[in-house]
Amino acid sequence: MDAAETLRIASRSIRAHRLRSALTVLGMVIGIASVIVFATFGASVQAEVVGGIGDTNANNVFVVPAETDQGGPGDFGATGALLFTQVDVDDLRDIEGVRAVIPQGLVPLSSVTYDNRTIGQNQAIATVPETFTGNYVVAGRGFRSNGSELVINRAAADQLAGNDTVGSTVQLTISGERRNVTVVGIVSGTRGGFSAGFGDDTPQFYLPVDPFYTTRARSPSIGADVKVYPQVTVVADPSRVSDVKRSVETYMTEESDAAQRLPEGVEIRVQTSGDIVGEIEELIGQITRFVTGIAVISLVVGAIGIANITLVSVAERTKEIGIMKAVGARNRDVLQMFLTEAVLLGALGAVVGVPLGLAVGWAATAYAEVGFALATDWLLFSVAMGLFVGAVAGIYPAWRASKVDPIDALRYE
Amino acid sequence: MAVWAIPGDMSETTRREPAAAGDPVVEVAGARKTYDLGGTVTALDGVSLSLPGGSYTAVMGPSGSGKSTLLNLIGGLDTPDAGSVRVAGEDLGAVSEDRRAAIRGTEVGFVFQTFNLMPRLTAVENVALPLVFDGWKKSRRLERARDILADVGLGDRLDHRPTELSGGQRQRVAIARALAPDPALVLADEPTGNVDTDTGAGIMGLLADIHADGNTVLLVTHSRRIAEHAERIVHIRDGAIERIEDLSGGV
Repeated sequence: MDAAETLRIASRSIRAHRLRSALTVLGMVIGIASVIVFATFGASVQAEVVGGIGDTNANNVFVVPAETDQGGPGDFGATGALLFTQVDVDDLRDIEGVRAVIPQGLVPLSSVTYDNRTIGQNQAIATVPETFTGNYVVAGRGFRSNGSELVINRAAADQLAGNDTVGSTVQLTISGERRNVTVVGIVSGTRGGFSAGFGDDTPQFYLPVDPFYTTRARSPSIGADVKVYPQVTVVADPSRVSDVKRSVETYMTEESDAAQRLPEGVEIRVQTSGDIVGEIEELIGQITRFVTGIAVISLVVGAIGIANITLVSVAERTKEIGIMKAVGARNRDVLQMFLTEAVLLGALGAVVGVPLGLAVGWAATAYAEVGFALATDWLLFSVAMGLFVGAVAGIYPAWRASKVDPIDALRYE
Repeated sequence: MAVWAIPGDMSETTRREPAAAGDPVVEVAGARKTYDLGGTVTALDGVSLSLPGGSYTAVMGPSGSGKSTLLNLIGGLDTPDAGSVRVAGEDLGAVSEDRRAAIRGTEVGFVFQTFNLMPRLTAVENVALPLVFDGWKKSRRLERARDILADVGLGDRLDHRPTELSGGQRQRVAIARALAPDPALVLADEPTGNVDTDTGAGIMGLLADIHADGNTVLLVTHSRRIAEHAERIVHIRDGAIERIEDLSGGV
């Protein structure tokens, strides 16, 4: 029996029971669509987050303290320990392949006044000019060391006067001392921080380490008080990131002040952007797989619907099976016919479910304000599942149909 | 025309070859069939029967006589427990299930009491159905189906579904379907059982025409009046052939 004829007979019997077939297909549509929705949404979130970190910070090596029994991305400065001394920062600059070393520290602000308004910003990040690269600067320029200059991010600028803020003066009170600083630039993020990807909504002030950062502690190596920082980012030559990472690790564990200042239960973690991206991808991937796995359950329910309806179909058409066998249908012709019907139901589910899932997934990403990304592997998986599920669900009913005794079937009313 | 059959109690070696007609289309030799229905029931007990090519035979008997079992064996729907059934030279008990299905499709044309048409297929599609399983190309099988439907007087009902046809018309579609693969044997099981007397007469006339065209016809019925259309009547009772009555007049 040729495939075209099998397909024609199967589609005709599906059409003969429109409502029943439609409900069965609906079960499959829901299953396939929900798998695609969750997979697409997961992939979109992942692409958004990773994309934010990945591009411009690809050659960063982050050096942070972390509690030894904790892990995972985003665990930066969990202890907030001020481990890294100015000596460490200077030594790191001398490592081969290092382009810049960017320490970061926090400066508490007891009050901020702009244009006679008080602004609710209670801290600034103290860092060095290397943190501002061209593609982050939205307006103006980065600050210079030793100047009374302030750089803010877009969220902070929105609180003041938008892009017009550049050039204006802000009054800061630091350690009880009132200081006027000039806003010299607005940035969309910084090199060395993670604000590029998802910290953009929080207003940030950036001040030069000199003269504003004054936190000091004793350096074990030179025996004098120097500046100490909670976090250091090493910017490496892009072609030598892994070499630099190894050198930084070696220096940090063997020679640095930080290693000697390390409290119990804290370790220094050296991670590249790639490491962090990998960890975030892994985490989001796990969540996506878990949620999508739940959606797969609805696919299984859809499959049971197909099995059920095919069984009913076989029972109803017992007499037809007898007739077909009497006029020369072999067992495998009958099997093929019912199996085709089941696979066709699964395929219909995929044909409707995939666009529906993509549409809902797109709507979800639009609602969550993340860029839309296709989860191609899950897409193929869903379509394959639709066909496979139809086949698996149909195989037993179809096999039963093929085994029908034509004499009994012809007598069947 | 010479007709020839032997009761089951005669030995194989005493069998004579048919005289005038060609090789036998059907040869049943010592066929035995029992059913286990909470105790063994013997439906056929060593039946031997031969149908020469071009013959018209009626098998007659009361219900429970074993005539349906004999029909199922000759039609390849069932296999004997002992003995053999050969149709168009093939031993139906020895071939594979698939081969038996193919023989049903190409060598045997069934005509049932209840028509047994596919309800969702049109007349043409019903007639073409055996050709689908025989692997005919679509255009060829539809052409053949149209030709045969025209022959049985349904040229104007090609695209009607069974529910849109009268009982007599349905039986004509069924007969056309039986003829579609040009079978060695047409098997008619109470073909007039579900139609009125006038329509039944028309159907018996059609079967006579089919026989006149050289086809081998086996008719199963419980009615003497219907059976008399055949050249001979095989009377069957309690699973065995009781007697064979020759109506052709020539012998």
